[in-house]
Amino acid sequence: MEKLNSTLGAVRSLRSSVRQCFEQLADGTNAELAEDSRTKFLLKFQENFNNMNAQLREVESLINGLQAPQTPYCLGQTTYLAQETAPERQALYSQLVNSYKWIDKVHDHSFLAFNNLNQNNLRRSYVYCSQKRVRIPFTSCNNFDPDHTDKLLSEINLPLTSYQVCRPFGSNVVVIVTISRVLKAAIVCKGVLIEWVTVKGFDETLDPDDLWAESRYEVFRKVQEHTHIAMLHFFSPTLPDLAIKSYMTWLHSYSKLFLEACKRCGKFVSNGLPPTWRDLRTLEPFHEECRNC
Amino acid sequence: MGVTVLLPYQIPEGKTGAQAIDYLTKRLLALGAIHTGQFLVDCETYISTPQHGPAKTVHVLHDSEYPASTFSILDNGAGKQIPLVADNLFDLLMLKMTSVYTSKKQTKIESKGARFEYGDFLIKLGSVTMMENFKGILIEIEYRPCVVLSYCWEMIRETLQGFLGMPIAKEYPAYFSQQIMNTMGQQQIHTKQNEVYEPIDTINQYLESFTNYRKQNVLPVAGGATGGASSAQNAAANMQGGNQRMR
Amino acid sequence: MQMTQITNSKELLSTALQSRIIPNQEFLLQGSILDSAVDHLIHRLRGLCDTVDASPEQFHDLEVCLSLRQPTQTAPLMLRVRRALDRDSPFQLRYIGQPELDRSRPTLVRSSIDVGCTSTILDFLTELGCRLDFEYVSRGYIFRKGRMKITVSKIKAVPGKQQEIGSETVSQSYLVELSVLAPNGQDSIGDEMRIFAEQLKPLVQLEKIDYKRLGGLP
Repeated sequence: MEKLNSTLGAVRSLRSSVRQCFEQLADGTNAELAEDSRTKFLLKFQENFNNMNAQLREVESLINGLQAPQTPYCLGQTTYLAQETAPERQALYSQLVNSYKWIDKVHDHSFLAFNNLNQNNLRRSYVYCSQKRVRIPFTSCNNFDPDHTDKLLSEINLPLTSYQVCRPFGSNVVVIVTISRVLKAAIVCKGVLIEWVTVKGFDETLDPDDLWAESRYEVFRKVQEHTHIAMLHFFSPTLPDLAIKSYMTWLHSYSKLFLEACKRCGKFVSNGLPPTWRDLRTLEPFHEECRNC
Repeated sequence: MGVTVLLPYQIPEGKTGAQAIDYLTKRLLALGAIHTGQFLVDCETYISTPQHGPAKTVHVLHDSEYPASTFSILDNGAGKQIPLVADNLFDLLMLKMTSVYTSKKQTKIESKGARFEYGDFLIKLGSVTMMENFKGILIEIEYRPCVVLSYCWEMIRETLQGFLGMPIAKEYPAYFSQQIMNTMGQQQIHTKQNEVYEPIDTINQYLESFTNYRKQNVLPVAGGATGGASSAQNAAANMQGGNQRMR
Repeated sequence: MQMTQITNSKELLSTALQSRIIPNQEFLLQGSILDSAVDHLIHRLRGLCDTVDASPEQFHDLEVCLSLRQPTQTAPLMLRVRRALDRDSPFQLRYIGQPELDRSRPTLVRSSIDVGCTSTILDFLTELGCRLDFEYVSRGYIFRKGRMKITVSKIKAVPGKQQEIGSETVSQSYLVELSVLAPNGQDSIGDEMRIFAEQLKPLVQLEKIDYKRLGGLP
């Protein structure tokens, strides 16, 4: 650190002497003055010039003495990219670090913006964010430690529900949730953010290798649509753990998918479907068409 | 594959079977159901020859919903029933056993009719015939996404009431309230309505209804559609009575 | 909307029989090989059969043979139930008829019906009146070549009721079977099988075995 300081000091003095030199040159000489004043000017310039040279050399030697600063960001296993032998790929890691810094900055700004905008009461969703809360210690939520994800998922424990965690895509998690004897859902996470949900019937197969096939039953296709709505609703990059937990609680309310009548019309079946929508806050069942009236 | 409830339909007085089917079809279509072809469930019964010890019965059923399978239920005459689901080549095997198990041709019975889809519901209106004689109407309703009756009975009940236009008892149908025996012969606490439903359960329900229709075969059956309908009415009345006794 | 008329399953079956699409005939050649030489045969078969690159498929089955006495006929109805011990798959019920006594054919031909079924089959057959004749465990390898099936298996006795590890082997050799299940009237498959059997000589001599001559069997 000291070395860095002295280098910076040397750069400063170099800059000031360059400036002095140019100032003197700009002032020039008096035209009517005699020869000796001209030589004096020349000598002064030479002195300045030598000064500059000396300082420049000093700066250069100081810079050579500096160690390359250690990267402050450790991006997991991507650091191995820096050891890449192919020359055209060597720069990748520094670029990655740069973009990572950018993202972090964006996060900072958006967090501030979020807090500011939150003071405005005209909110459409009921996301609650306390003003009193200090900024939470915050790591990027889409680059999570796998152990943390495991721990988080093991904490979620709802009745009649089983969770099966698998990692078909490297470190990212696919959670197969079986709710009662009603449905199965595959939740694809990136870190701890939910990226995709597939819902199928209890008697259908849900293969982690084929998560994009739709259920053969209309009711589960509808439920899947609703899970996507909820996925966006519960999305909260600032509190990812809470988001996952509330999402799971919401999803669990489907354990009574066929058992509950719609809260508005009081019927079980409408258009051949049970109440497929669950209110995001109260978890009350509604038919899709009853939900908005 | 989901929970199926089979229900004998009581034909309203003064209507023939064909008229009743017509009426139900119209109501279903008005509800928004889509006609998706035909279905057929048939049942043939084989009885062991007397030389072969105590009489045993093998019921062989086919369901067009499971076209590759043959369902058979063996009744050993001592209250034990063994279900078997096999490839439909099993029929060929039954033919090999003709010297021991003979088919009672006159009791060959089937339920045949139109198949409707309403959302995830599958509704079948079957007219039951035995030896070309009309015996009654069986309504099959299946809610395919659900595998446990107690979860979706209210949905099924509501839909049934919707197109039948008559109230259905709140209790689970008789077939589902029977206690299940486990392998040790002990009665288990839970009943069938809480079990995971299997295709053989549908077959069992059909066999139960078919047996009831066969029993009232001893009543004199007048020929022709109207006569058949009136006897079917009796059947439905009997069935209803049976249901009530069960409760 | 499909409005096709549903036909009775019996009628469907008889049409299928008439159009000869139901595989109900088994063509069979049998032989045996000593334990010490079985590795050579496996290598030979791996080279000759389909899926050369994969390691040979293994199986471990329990086979139960039952018979139903028929009052009007002298020969009882023979049924076999096969159950995989190493995986969860449906039980298999087989009917095997009497072999045809046609000397001109290159293989043994007998009628056979294979039916997949649920695990209740043994109970079902016992209540039906079938008597247990014998049961055994066979464990070995299965190969495919076109529609031919080749099994190389060790026959073991079923030790008591418990399935112990040291199942008793019946002999010092492996049973080799070459079989095809085909619909009626596809007799050319017999020649195909004979040619394939030639290729396994002299490791193993696959022949049509006449059970009548062996004696001691029903």
